Amino acid sequence: MASLSEEVLLVVKKVRQKKQDGTLYLMAERIAWGPEGKDRFTVSHLYADIRCQKISPDGKAKIQLQLVLHTGESTTFHFANESSALKDREAAKELLQQLLPKFKKKANKELEEKNRMLQEDPVLFQLYKDLVVSQVISAEEFWANRLSINNTDHSLSNNKQEVGISAAFLADIRPQTDGCNGLRYNLTADIIESIFRTYPTVKQKYGENVPHNLTEKEFWTRFFQSHYFHRDRINTGTQDIFSECAKQDEKGLKSMVVQGVKNPMVDLLSLEDKTLDEGYGVSTAPSTSNSNKTVKENSNSAIIKRFNHHSAMVLAAGSRKGETSSTDGNSRDSDFFQPPVKKVKLQESIEYEDLQRENGPKTVALNLKKSDRYAHGPVPLQSQQYTTSQDIINSVNCIRHEMANYKPNLTQVLSNSTASSAIAALSPGGVLMQAGAQQAINRKCNDWCNLTLT
Amino acid sequence: MKINIEGLLVYFPYDYIYPEQYSYMLELKRTLDAKGHGVLEMPSGTGKTISLLSLIVAYQRAFPLEVTKLIYCSRTVPEIEKVVEELRKLMEFYSKETGESSNFLALALSSRKNLCIHPEILHANIVVYSYHYLLDPKIADLVSKELAKKSVVVFDEAHNIDNVCIDSMSVNITRRTLDRCQNNVDTLQNTIRNIKETDAAKLKEEYRRLVEGLKEANVARETDVYMANPVLPDEILQEAVPGSIRTAEHFVGFMRRFLEYLKARLRVHHVVQESAPQFLKDVFDKVCIDRKPLRFCAERLRSLLRTLEIADITDFSPVTLISNFATLVSTYSQGFTIIIEPFEDRTPTIANPVLHFSCMDPSIAIKPVFERFQSVIITSGTLSPLDIYPRILDFRPVTMASFTMTLARTCLCPLIVGRGNDQVALSSKFETREDFAVIRNYGNLLLEMSAIVPDGIVAFFTSYVYMENIVASWYEQGILENIQRNKLIFIETPDASETSMALEKYQEACENGRGAVLLSVARGKVSEGIDFVHHFGRAVIMFGVPYVYTQSRILKARLEYLRDQFQIRENDFLTFDAMRHAAQCVGRAIRGKTDYGLMIFADKRYARADKRGKLPRWIQEHMSDGSLNLTVDETVQLAKHFLRQMAQPFRQEDQLGLSLLTLEQLESEEILQKITQIAHQA
Repeated sequence: MASLSEEVLLVVKKVRQKKQDGTLYLMAERIAWGPEGKDRFTVSHLYADIRCQKISPDGKAKIQLQLVLHTGESTTFHFANESSALKDREAAKELLQQLLPKFKKKANKELEEKNRMLQEDPVLFQLYKDLVVSQVISAEEFWANRLSINNTDHSLSNNKQEVGISAAFLADIRPQTDGCNGLRYNLTADIIESIFRTYPTVKQKYGENVPHNLTEKEFWTRFFQSHYFHRDRINTGTQDIFSECAKQDEKGLKSMVVQGVKNPMVDLLSLEDKTLDEGYGVSTAPSTSNSNKTVKENSNSAIIKRFNHHSAMVLAAGSRKGETSSTDGNSRDSDFFQPPVKKVKLQESIEYEDLQRENGPKTVALNLKKSDRYAHGPVPLQSQQYTTSQDIINSVNCIRHEMANYKPNLTQVLSNSTASSAIAALSPGGVLMQAGAQQAINRKCNDWCNLTLT
Repeated sequence: MKINIEGLLVYFPYDYIYPEQYSYMLELKRTLDAKGHGVLEMPSGTGKTISLLSLIVAYQRAFPLEVTKLIYCSRTVPEIEKVVEELRKLMEFYSKETGESSNFLALALSSRKNLCIHPEILHANIVVYSYHYLLDPKIADLVSKELAKKSVVVFDEAHNIDNVCIDSMSVNITRRTLDRCQNNVDTLQNTIRNIKETDAAKLKEEYRRLVEGLKEANVARETDVYMANPVLPDEILQEAVPGSIRTAEHFVGFMRRFLEYLKARLRVHHVVQESAPQFLKDVFDKVCIDRKPLRFCAERLRSLLRTLEIADITDFSPVTLISNFATLVSTYSQGFTIIIEPFEDRTPTIANPVLHFSCMDPSIAIKPVFERFQSVIITSGTLSPLDIYPRILDFRPVTMASFTMTLARTCLCPLIVGRGNDQVALSSKFETREDFAVIRNYGNLLLEMSAIVPDGIVAFFTSYVYMENIVASWYEQGILENIQRNKLIFIETPDASETSMALEKYQEACENGRGAVLLSVARGKVSEGIDFVHHFGRAVIMFGVPYVYTQSRILKARLEYLRDQFQIRENDFLTFDAMRHAAQCVGRAIRGKTDYGLMIFADKRYARADKRGKLPRWIQEHMSDGSLNLTVDETVQLAKHFLRQMAQPFRQEDQLGLSLLTLEQLESEEILQKITQIAHQA
């Protein structure tokens, strides 16, 4: 057998392919068939290459199973064991049914990745068109080169930055009067998305009520009418479906405040070593009771609270995805233990970087995904002339290599005149050196890519 | 490096030094040599603390008999912790250079919770703690009274020291205080009755001691063992406790009578203001209490609480408060005023009578410190005008100096915005405070700045109420929403924990590149205690001139006192006070030479010489005549230009020789001349 290390999941005997008897093997990663009496496979397909399987309808004389590949080719197996043909096929079919989706996902992922790379990088796309579509090299060869390069900074490319939410998204839905005593709000999918991401409670309400209780339009109408939206108005109605949201927000805000801050340098509560004892001091503490606050003052402080909350929510929505909440091991339960955050912050705050001898400039590497765009700025893509710096470096290396191995074939030397014209053509400014300028630029841009920010 | 400051070898734990640090140490050494007091101003971020520590520690090592101790006072807990951290660094440098582990003992007291009055405080070479441990007589008596005379006292961040002094000596009495005090007195009476049945000898012993008087304390003070205590005046130390309050029962009865009198005084319907002698006369007329026993009140109560072996004296803080009040009011005929207000000004219908016993003279609380310790250094980033502090604190300094920040590039950009684009004069003055045009122009300024300044902007308002009103009206006009297009908005609230959270979120937004605006209040906790280094504060906008609320009767009384006693005009003091707070606010953004930031003064009154002249020299000298009355548009243009310049790389080499010196440079004659020249420009 071809490779003994492979795990054989199912063996079906008496399976004909192209009118030849043989045995069908289902292995961990591929399906294979070998003719009877020979110990090699004439048919072998990786599961990943298979698009789908088809079976002959029940009641047909021939009990068959067809595999359709991504390339469009197909292979048909005829189960010929008279007593258990149907059973054999069902067994093979079921196993394939389990196996194929697993590999499909993998294939899809790869395809998606390739697709994404092509979409994001117009140069690469152009290269793909030039090389693969024009059949200079095969797609596999193309990707074999690409993916290995890409795998190194795979983590980076995967770490795609989320687009944050504009803090002013509510301002973008300024109502306009519609001329007949009504207000028009313009909602776009983006704004709805922003509202949902910033205020998960609203999203929850939406899920609960739309579409069984309210239509989408009704939902948003109520949202804009609600006191939740107009937070500066104090009295929240009880029948308002958003009053619960307001309460939850309040709760969230409170729990955030109770949690306290991680950075001790901004903790205003522990700022003062000792407040004066009660009764001492020039200014008495202002009475904290709300009773003697005017409505206006209450509304003002509600606005302030709302802004703080809104900003905190927008900030949280921006960092919610991707990052897991940072755990800094800052335990608060012990007074004697100085938390590391505090120590670090203290050290930072007394540091005078310019008084110390420089130990190498602290730099942050510039992470450029599209170095060409950085170097050139947005220019219309000109097909053919556009080569990436990597390609040029490769070809330079290639030429260097060729030159090193160059042995003059003295029996077939050029004539004087041909040689000098060739030299002229290869000198700067010559006919064959048109790409030289481009190359220099690309070399330079490669240098720029290694620039670091200080 | 090891530097030579007029013959004194100073270990300085850095490879380079700022020229102003050298000048600062020089001035400091001269002060110590003269055994006198000093007032030194140097911008924050120029390494003031490490200069102080390096020089004084070196001085202590060189002249252990001349200076035995350094007492370093700072205001906030983070400040104290920073000092300790810098001290640690210095000590590490010492042991690295000398190869021997330092036998220096430093002690930091912070947070009253872990207050330890270990005898070590007496042996420590360096003590770091908060102002109150020295200035609040109630604590100073416990912690600091035995500190040696040959100590150097440093008050860092001392720009508000007068207020700390005043606070520690002022008392407010409400109905609630009196009720709780009543409970205290009842408890005391019961305890006395119990103890009389079980252990009468104890009370007799106390009586005997009181006849002897406070001789012991007097001997201690005369022999210079103790620092004076303003609540324990010298005169009473020479006398026995008066007979009328000598027995425990009599004293409790005496307190009861005084309490009844105070209750009666709180039953007023109009505001009463009187001096201490007037009050004493009234006490005598109404309840026949003499001045003399009142003066012994605080000490008598302390003795009683000791005798009764009461463990938790915090339960007795109301009665302690009243007895302290009694002693103070009968001791000082000047420097205090009594104001009884039947209700708050804002709510005339709700009765909430308060008796304010208000100290108007900061020198009373700090006098014992100046008298006891051979050198007291008052220092801060903002102490301008320098000469006012010796006047209000009543002392004679041997040195007064203001050091500027030497800069290789002008990293601060103070601009005065006097007009809106529509030529409306911008000001927070009372008459135009509600003016729509001003508020709109202020909003426009913030909006424009939020579009061009990277990362963090901090805006300060003159008061919380003013900020609330402006925020509400910006909200109605949609200005805040437009600002939100550029940056997130966070706002200080009266609640400290809410504000802490807003601050942290603000920093997070600056950190992750979103950028944010923080709206805050001058004189608030943020303006006094939080630094906005680097990208946490690329611009500070001061909306208006942060005058104190002038309608308060207490303030008016203080202003009158300053005028009569110190010949300081009311307006001069108010402007000085407003400008020191404005300087504090804008100074929050610059925390070093590698930092940079805009300082925007949004009020046309800042352009006047009497205001501008009271700003610290290191801010003033960067104000050009062309930047005194700008419109919003002009400000934006100048700010853009400044920010673009600052965004260029800034390396150590750029600073060397100008604002940063190596040891070799410091030893060259030429550079030394230059440093002295800069230092004497003041």
